[in-house]
Amino acid sequence: MAENNQVKIDRTNSWEEGKTKNVTFIVTEDCQLQCKYCYLVGKNNLNKMDFLIAKQAIDYLLENDDFSKETSVVLDFIGGEPLLEIELIDKICDYFKIQAYEKNHPCFNSYRFSFTTNGLLYSSDKVQHYIEKNLTHLSIQITIDGTKTKHNLQRVYPNGRGSYDNVVKNIPLWIKQFPHSATKVTISRDDLPYIKESVLHLWKLGVKDVNINVVFEDVWKPGDEVMFEDQLVSLADEIIAQKYYEDFSCSFFSKMIGHPYKENMNWCGAGKMMAIDFQGNFYPCNRFVDFSLQHRKELMIGNFADGIDKNRLRPFLTLDMVTQSKPECIDCQAATGCAWCQGANYDFADTDTIFQRATYICALHKARVRANNYFWNKLSKKLNKELRTDF
Amino acid sequence: MFKYLAIILSKSSVSYCAYENTPFDNKTDDLISLPHLKNAVTFALKNNLKVNFLFPEYDLPLEYNALIDEVEHIKIVPLQLYATYQDSILVIQPKNLLQNADIKGLKDGNVILRVSKQHLPQLHTCISMLAPKCTRINLVLTDIEKYRDEDLDEYASQLAQISLYIQDSLSGNKIPELNFLTDRMFLAQMNNCNAGLSHLSVAPNGKLYLCPAFYYHNEDSTLGEIKNDVEIKNKQLLELKYAPICRICDTYQCRRCVFLNKKLTSEINTPSYQQCRLSHIEREASRLMSIALKESKNFTRQIETIPEIDYLDPFEIAQKHKIEISAFKLINYANTKNENEIGGESN
Repeated sequence: MAENNQVKIDRTNSWEEGKTKNVTFIVTEDCQLQCKYCYLVGKNNLNKMDFLIAKQAIDYLLENDDFSKETSVVLDFIGGEPLLEIELIDKICDYFKIQAYEKNHPCFNSYRFSFTTNGLLYSSDKVQHYIEKNLTHLSIQITIDGTKTKHNLQRVYPNGRGSYDNVVKNIPLWIKQFPHSATKVTISRDDLPYIKESVLHLWKLGVKDVNINVVFEDVWKPGDEVMFEDQLVSLADEIIAQKYYEDFSCSFFSKMIGHPYKENMNWCGAGKMMAIDFQGNFYPCNRFVDFSLQHRKELMIGNFADGIDKNRLRPFLTLDMVTQSKPECIDCQAATGCAWCQGANYDFADTDTIFQRATYICALHKARVRANNYFWNKLSKKLNKELRTDF
Repeated sequence: MFKYLAIILSKSSVSYCAYENTPFDNKTDDLISLPHLKNAVTFALKNNLKVNFLFPEYDLPLEYNALIDEVEHIKIVPLQLYATYQDSILVIQPKNLLQNADIKGLKDGNVILRVSKQHLPQLHTCISMLAPKCTRINLVLTDIEKYRDEDLDEYASQLAQISLYIQDSLSGNKIPELNFLTDRMFLAQMNNCNAGLSHLSVAPNGKLYLCPAFYYHNEDSTLGEIKNDVEIKNKQLLELKYAPICRICDTYQCRRCVFLNKKLTSEINTPSYQQCRLSHIEREASRLMSIALKESKNFTRQIETIPEIDYLDPFEIAQKHKIEISAFKLINYANTKNENEIGGESN
């Protein structure tokens, strides 16, 4: 009989989860791809971070009181596509390490450089040189969306050509260098028929952990939840039949989801993290930068010269679930795990506020909860053990 | 449920809060049009709203005065007009007082004192000049975004001096009402401005605003034309229970100014650290004064007990201790029930 600890379908692998300060460097607003679901609506090849700006931002982080007590820091490099600026990133990382050492900053002993990349440049000499140099302090997540069909539906070059072949060739090297890395899959409306085959495909490629979510935007139509639920139930059957739960994870299935709220916590970490743009301006996260927003102006919380504007940060640090949710969400019996993005909330709200929760994914979340219940109940029965005893 | 309507008679009408008006240029372009004024007065009459008219420094045309007198109202006027409108609320600035403005005739006045950071060191002097002639003084600090720690210390010092002055000039139970010092002693719940909840404003362009400050800051922030069903999007965020910092706070005298919240923190439901600290300095001054008054044999009015606390900014508390879901539901549903009952009565 399989023991509970052999069920790994809902494991998470974040480094020092909940204990780190994440600082995101938006090194470029450019990308080789024009993914159809991408929230970066204003990508361009003009706005790139200058090393001088990055240095000043690092100096601010290491010298400012707000960060002086942080013992674990993650410097997150994103874009656009961060690997387009790997030489700049290499210089930033070197500068950070030297300064942290010279200033005897507590984070010198506990830091990570983290990337989310489209993977196209992963095997290039410059990137590989950087990886070799920083391997023990690196987390790299390559985004591959599943099967070739699913991936190429969304992740395309400006001429419309799919990018799958150019990414998948780099996956073996990535897995060899980072055997415990996860990928992040995004599901938009056209992708619904390909969820099951995509998750199974990624596992077959050797990507053991698949973080997957549906887009928060207003793209969903009535009836989409039926196809979504069918896909997840079918995937659940396959996972149980093939015992994939012993080796692989997929974030669609979790013991934590589908319960009434017990705690009044915010879902999103915006404001507890910080993003820095190419001009050295600070944001609660990269979703509040102008090239991420469709309807609203950027929402800054400071810059390296003036520091953090504590007044602008206050709303983010007092955000809770109840203040931004509708009564039906607060009372929802399937509430836990229903995600929201603070930047998307801000972008889609009726007024320019972060206190109005977008609920476009409501029907899909409930479908996910039903499929998730199906999975855990069926697996519990098979293993003759109640696997969700905590709830 | 709206109870009041502020009507700004002209762009250069006196400011009675933490915003600046438009300097007077010419009368033609300054005044609200007569049709707009009539529309606003009619709206007030139809909806049982009392009106606060904000006056400019110059005399109004006769037909304007006739319309104004059609509705129950209070006039809010600059100091220069107090001889003309003696039953009005006067708006005074320190420079008026300190430049020997004629206030000899002022008796039992109800005044709004607008003080900038520059004049903060003269606050005690201004209050001591006005208090003998006033039943109520509402203090407005006009530029709190500029306040730093040393200014907060100065404010605390001024309040301490004013408190001693009030105690020294105590005559029986009679003390002047000072929003920043005495209000808290008689309050058992929040007594905020409530813009957008209990009152709205009509600007010289004839449109509705949450309050005059929104009009002067950005004319485009209008709620739209005057109409019976005023739509305020995300109106719940104006309410106390949707303000994570304020709903756990007991500085009941705080204006909880949604305009300053928006201006300084980007969110109408989140106060700035300056707002919280200033209000808590007032609370502490009120607490100390209430203790002194309770010990005074001459003062026998009932005073609320103000607990001693060790913080100046409840943000720190709100950040650590989120309100319980069950507590929020209790407030939410209790208030929803009350609102429905009020709606039923009005129908």
